[in-house]
Amino acid sequence: MFGLLETGSGFWSAIIWVIVVLIIGSIVVYVRNKGEDSYKKDTEQVKPFISGHPEESKEGSHLSASHIYWGFTEALKGYYKPLIEMHTGNINDFSSWIITVTVIVLIIIGVS
Amino acid sequence: MKLNKYFKKSLWVFHLNTGSCNGCDIEIVAGLTPRYDFERFGIKLVGSPKHADVLLITGPVTEKMAGPARRVYEQTPDPKMVIVVGTCGTSGGVFHNSYILRGSVDKIIPVDVYVPGCPVRPENIINGVLQAWVKLEKLRESMKVAPAK
Repeated sequence: MFGLLETGSGFWSAIIWVIVVLIIGSIVVYVRNKGEDSYKKDTEQVKPFISGHPEESKEGSHLSASHIYWGFTEALKGYYKPLIEMHTGNINDFSSWIITVTVIVLIIIGVS
Repeated sequence: MKLNKYFKKSLWVFHLNTGSCNGCDIEIVAGLTPRYDFERFGIKLVGSPKHADVLLITGPVTEKMAGPARRVYEQTPDPKMVIVVGTCGTSGGVFHNSYILRGSVDKIIPVDVYVPGCPVRPENIINGVLQAWVKLEKLRESMKVAPAK
């Protein structure tokens, strides 16, 4: 598993990879921890620049996953609205829809 | 003025409009055109005060922009210079008694260089920025002698 794999175009060693990743990771962590000395701590200098506006709380600036396809649902709102209204959450309504659609499909199959 | 002494590195400028009519802003843009060309001196407009050495402020400060202006000033790393471009930012100008104004820029944040004019010509803006540059380099040198704690 950890042995050296030699091929015609080179070699592969998991241990060398782990060592290289650890070395690069250590350098990244070192640079990250040095930070920017000229910034004053606990002031606005360490806060993000949002065109001069205060930073919102994480909860206040949360975007849900449904925002990704917001434009899609907004454009097709006319078609979605009746479908959403049909979804009452009542199991009897769902059952009646299944029966109704099944009957229609069976009638279409029988007629054709 | 011996500029060479102070041209050690380029100067990054953040432009902030606190309520200008855009007259001075257009003159700043004119300063970037080949006729005046700020950038030949190493003066570069940047998109964030966090990268800036100098704040270039146009317009009087409206009620809505007082908070953002103060925040932008506080977010600019030290040492920094503030240049006010235009009569409105310098004194309020013709709008000085408007109900919607907080006043001139120096009522909100400390100002180092004033460049009055309505609108200011690009040559004046360049001159103002160079004066701020010299002040900034002197400030840096004094900070090296006596580093801030």
